[in-house]
Amino acid sequence: MGKIEWAMWANEQALASGLILLAGGIVGVAGQFRGWQFAAYSIAAGVFVCMLEYPRSKRSKGTSVGRTGQYCFTVCVKAFGPVTRNYYVRAFLHAAICVPGGFLLATVLGCVCLGIASLIYLVAAIRGEHWEPILPVKEARKPVAESMKAPPQNPPPRPPPEMRRKRVDDLESAAYDNPIPVTANE
Amino acid sequence: MVVSMRSWVANEGGKHLVLMLWLGANTWLFVKTFLLYSTGQQYHYLYKMLGLGLCISRASASVLNLNCSLVLLPMCHSLLTFVRGTHKVSGRKTRRLLDKSKTFHVACGVAICVFSVIHVSAHLVNVVNFSVNYSDDFPALNLARYRGEVRHNNSHFFPGVTGVLLVLILFLMFTSSSYCIRVSNYEIFWYTHNLFIVFYIILMVHMVGGALKYQTNIEAHPPGCLQANQSSTEQQGEELEHRKDEEQRCREDAHFQPHYPQTWLWVSGPLCLYCADRFYRYIQSSDPVTIVTVIRHPCDVIELRMLKKNFKARPGQYIVLNCPGVSSFENHPFTLTTCPTENKGTFGIHLRVVGDWTSEFTRTHTTMGDLEILPMVQQRRYPNDGWTGFRLQRLYFIWVCRELQSFYWFAELLCALHHKLWQENRPDYFNLKLYVSQTDNLQVGEKYRLLTSRLLVGRPRLKLLFDEIGKTNKHKRVGVFCCGPKSLSRTLHRLCNSAQSFGTTFEFNKESFG
Repeated sequence: MGKIEWAMWANEQALASGLILLAGGIVGVAGQFRGWQFAAYSIAAGVFVCMLEYPRSKRSKGTSVGRTGQYCFTVCVKAFGPVTRNYYVRAFLHAAICVPGGFLLATVLGCVCLGIASLIYLVAAIRGEHWEPILPVKEARKPVAESMKAPPQNPPPRPPPEMRRKRVDDLESAAYDNPIPVTANE
Repeated sequence: MVVSMRSWVANEGGKHLVLMLWLGANTWLFVKTFLLYSTGQQYHYLYKMLGLGLCISRASASVLNLNCSLVLLPMCHSLLTFVRGTHKVSGRKTRRLLDKSKTFHVACGVAICVFSVIHVSAHLVNVVNFSVNYSDDFPALNLARYRGEVRHNNSHFFPGVTGVLLVLILFLMFTSSSYCIRVSNYEIFWYTHNLFIVFYIILMVHMVGGALKYQTNIEAHPPGCLQANQSSTEQQGEELEHRKDEEQRCREDAHFQPHYPQTWLWVSGPLCLYCADRFYRYIQSSDPVTIVTVIRHPCDVIELRMLKKNFKARPGQYIVLNCPGVSSFENHPFTLTTCPTENKGTFGIHLRVVGDWTSEFTRTHTTMGDLEILPMVQQRRYPNDGWTGFRLQRLYFIWVCRELQSFYWFAELLCALHHKLWQENRPDYFNLKLYVSQTDNLQVGEKYRLLTSRLLVGRPRLKLLFDEIGKTNKHKRVGVFCCGPKSLSRTLHRLCNSAQSFGTTFEFNKESFG
């Protein structure tokens, strides 16, 4: 179990928590619960968390598969440099964001889920992981091999013209070499 | 791409039929429960208080009951293997449907998540309505303690607490079962998914102390009747009022009672079945396995030959290896490349060193002598005598490898098989086509002339292959078995469904571990 990348799991959880916060906030605002301001906050917080967590990080070992359409989000998140690269920052940020959600019943679930994600980010940060953007790699063109510098100058060697001409009088030696012995039809 | 109706029905028909049946069952259950709560006499007062939220929450709860019971069934691997193996119970169509059991499990899981969201949202609305529509007439029906109560937490409310726990466990299980996590960190997926047992235990007691009550004395107190201290506000003629009073006067006060938990009725059967299946697999695996031979092949592949008491297997089946010396909890599936026969009891797998478990396994066992690695190759073993009774008329074996040395894994077997078939005067039974996809540094040796003469450079042109096979096997059924990456299997699946004019049906199957 030594090689688990905790950040990947934390990322999935944080994205799902963002969606749960968003859903809970919408229910709270639509149902006009008392304290609907917390629900409005959690809509905004949910959207923010989703946008932050949508781009997947590059794995340290193995192939990384990005989510569909994540390139523009990657560029935005990358622009913040060390703030978004560091998982300690993310852990404390998520812990801070989730607290106001705990004051309303509709958003308490999103709060708890984001709290769990924040804890796992802390574990990932302690293990030294960090966020790397997945950027499209430009394929380097393979250089043409040395031996292909110039085409051959001379034609391939051939036997002299007397031998190449078909000799009707000598069918035996003019014939091809059959790999399988051919027998005449009786 | 134009789709061939015959091939599409053969490949997709069964799956879509099961999907329709499942969707139909869910819809029927949802609508039936919804109507029960919106029109049922015993819920009349509750419905007046809570409205739509009541119906939606209860309807989604019954759909959740159904899916929580169905989700366990595709995971009873030993039972499914048994059903698959008996010829009386299942024909080929059923067996191919059973291959899709994991897809059904995922569908039920997704339905559980979706309906949990609906259920929780509806209950949140119910909490508000309990407070806003606090009933002074029927105090027993209330959940709120007074009108306008704002509940911030439900720590005193048992179904609330269990509900939050259930959703948390579901959240953990769901977030760790995405394709990405399963491929990169299987342990996270495995350990969180095993929280299902906690989920089910909590689910079965979720409704204890429930807030939703039904009325027990409908005859004595028809809903909507006039209470003793009330009178009709409408002004009507005397006889009418007299008759109305007779009908509508309540004989007693309404009595309410909460529901007993019903989830255990749905869930306990499949749960017991799954636990029994798991226990059976544990018993089966407690017998140790002896490693007989280890053969190293090029390109990081090892062949492992093993022996186990009373082990029976058929071509196409897979085994799950657990090596306590490497890791006590990790289990890895490998398709069998050699099955035990009557003469020889050893069975074998080929194993390729790809991740940390396989490399640790290889390292541990090389010191002892033998290790096994498993490439994903399915192999059929034919009996030494008698070809009657086999429905297979021809076999096309198409193998694509990156490097030339990879073909040496099975070079001996392929040559032996080809030779044997030539001796038995069946030269067209086995058609071999080998493809090497990496085109540099190809040095073909003198050995295995049979293989090198069937070797082609570059990837196979699948459409042309399908045309050729279709032309030579008109109006026949061709089974296509794919072992490979997802992109290949998607291309093959599409080709199997596409139309060609030869009347051949291509049935698509791919390797799936449970």
